[in-house]
Amino acid sequence: MALDVGKFIKAPEYDIKIITHRDVFQASACEEDRFGDECQEMSALIVLDAAEMKRMGIQDRANVRLTSNWGSVVVRARASPREEQKGMGFMVNSPWVNTLVSDETTDGIPAFKDIEAKITISKNGITGIQELLLL
Amino acid sequence: MEMTEPITWTCTGCALLCEDIQVHIKDNKVEKVEHACLKGKARVYGCKHTAISTVDQAEVDINSAISQAAEILEKAKNPLLYGWSNSTSEAQVAGIELAQTLGACIDSTSSFCQGITINEIMNGSIPSCTLEEVREKADVVIYWGADPMSSHPRHLSKYSYFPRGELRQRGYEEDRTAICIDVTQSRTAKICKAMFFSIPPGGDAEFMRALMDGLAGRVPKLSYDFDVKRILELAAVLKKAEFGVIFAGLGLVYSIKEEFDLILEFMSTLNRFSNFSLIPMAGHFNMRGFNHNLHEKTGFIHRVRFTKNGPVSGVEYSVVEQLKHGADAVLVVGSDPLASLPLSIARRLKDIPLILVDPCANLTTRVADVTIPCGASGIEVGGTAVRLDGKKMDISPIVQGDGLSDEMVVRRIMEEVS
Amino acid sequence: MAFAVALLSRTKQYTECPPLMEEDKYQDSRQKLKNILKPMEGAEETGLIIHEELCSGCGNCVVACPVNVANDPHGSGRGFGPTNEKVIFRVENGIVKAANIKECRRFGKDRILCRACIDPCPTEAIEFV
Ligand code: SF4
Ligand code: SF4
Ligand code: SF4
Repeated sequence: MALDVGKFIKAPEYDIKIITHRDVFQASACEEDRFGDECQEMSALIVLDAAEMKRMGIQDRANVRLTSNWGSVVVRARASPREEQKGMGFMVNSPWVNTLVSDETTDGIPAFKDIEAKITISKNGITGIQELLLL
Repeated sequence: MEMTEPITWTCTGCALLCEDIQVHIKDNKVEKVEHACLKGKARVYGCKHTAISTVDQAEVDINSAISQAAEILEKAKNPLLYGWSNSTSEAQVAGIELAQTLGACIDSTSSFCQGITINEIMNGSIPSCTLEEVREKADVVIYWGADPMSSHPRHLSKYSYFPRGELRQRGYEEDRTAICIDVTQSRTAKICKAMFFSIPPGGDAEFMRALMDGLAGRVPKLSYDFDVKRILELAAVLKKAEFGVIFAGLGLVYSIKEEFDLILEFMSTLNRFSNFSLIPMAGHFNMRGFNHNLHEKTGFIHRVRFTKNGPVSGVEYSVVEQLKHGADAVLVVGSDPLASLPLSIARRLKDIPLILVDPCANLTTRVADVTIPCGASGIEVGGTAVRLDGKKMDISPIVQGDGLSDEMVVRRIMEEVS
Repeated sequence: MAFAVALLSRTKQYTECPPLMEEDKYQDSRQKLKNILKPMEGAEETGLIIHEELCSGCGNCVVACPVNVANDPHGSGRGFGPTNEKVIFRVENGIVKAANIKECRRFGKDRILCRACIDPCPTEAIEFV
């Protein structure tokens, strides 16, 4: 049987710490239509330091898979217009990033703003809102 | 086009509850809204997909949905009533009564948000003030782990930085200093320019201790790279403040929640040298109202269980713990837990009987066993709410709805269970 | 040259140059000029451009503009929505609208290089060209 070498060459994975925040444009779009394209476009998004992206070989607007111990989603990567702290990614509060948050709490407050995950380039399409429900 | 006389409205888009909005109505529809930000505009125009009454995802009349909800809750041994931050105080009070009737747990989104801060303010451990005082008097404002430009868009323009106040007549550039402490240069940080202090994630506690050292005239020490001179300069600015305010965001609260007493210590140290208040950046329009209303009834602000011996409170009654292990039926009012809670926790909602009361279809309605639509608070339904600084505000409806209010839905369920 | 000055001061539009618009041999120049002038499209006489898609309706410019403050001291000056029609900025349907532009401090004979609406904008939605 011929060995499919490509199958074993995985795109490199990098550790990343995700910080969540709010955004008025996304909040307004999702208030209007939670299932709309605009809400998804502004939510399924991770912003990274441009130099870091280069180092990781991730192009602006490329799809990336984010995986934590609790879940995995494909979102779009965008370069931050300013310099960001290294090893960090920023995501707007949304069901997409919430798939990555741990269920372990001692005080009833999940670690929404301190998410350890791995990031890797993905050939898959962005996880749709309907798919999130099936996860 | 004939001009309509506008109605003055209090916006329920966020807990700033801006009371100066002008809404033009024609044929019971919103035609134009003035002075509201984009978020408020989205709120006033409402959602595109409204909820419909369903049982097992099939459309039914609202009475059947209410009866089914009552049956589920009555059968449950350990029901949880959750949400409430997007409801008027009147609906919240009805919810608390229903929890009492059922012997249920009741909790709100404040459980994993600003509840911890609001609790300390309500018991007097942290000094606070009103937004009007901020506008009239504040000369130093700190946005700590908070980005109001993204979460409460009119915060700076209406109260905390730009307006002229009684004691701040010369405008923001001369009369006020805005400071931002955060992990990234947020939109708010941008406005604070050189007074933006960039700290590493989780670095808040250390920064706070360093600032206390600076205030007390000691040389601050930090484990991460930070120019100590800037901390000393900041301490000097804080010392000179006549009326200072800290707006505590979730960035700060989450970062130091394990040693929350540090905020108390920081505030008392700060107030040995200066005059500072703290205001929590509650998000949903009536998050704080739930805390006040529950406190009035039970002495606790959230995470309550009604037992035979009266109400008890504890982390085990929090929405997160109850969803992980505990609740065997859930009533959600005005929230979308499948979207806003960690999926690792919210997933369990698919396995237990779930009732949702909401004006809009959302992620949770897609898995709910029973959905009951209600009028949107502040749009079709009036009442009262508590602003993020604790001030009680009147909310009047602007259009006539044809459905029940969330308060009425809860009361109808109550009639059927008792 | 007079036409070029009029173009830049926005008293004339490039579309008002008949040969440029009609003759095919000017097609390239027409496109070039269009690109050069692009940032000025939609600009008021003072050069004010509002990028509506970037505006969050926060009202910072409404409250910070000295003309708003002077003409509506108890409304915009105090952080509220404008209470009269004499202001430059007001927020409608969640987005800022400009009027009475001639009152702008960048305009007229005692003009100053005011930035009181540009700097407070969190999203760089206001620009002068
Ligand atoms: S800041 Fe909040 S309350 Fe004020 S208009 Fe915007 S959404 Fe409404
Ligand atoms: S430049 Fe100054 S006067 Fe002109 S609109 Fe902006 S803030 Fe107002
Ligand atoms: S300051 Fe900028 S974002 Fe805010 S209302 Fe004015 S133009 Fe819009």
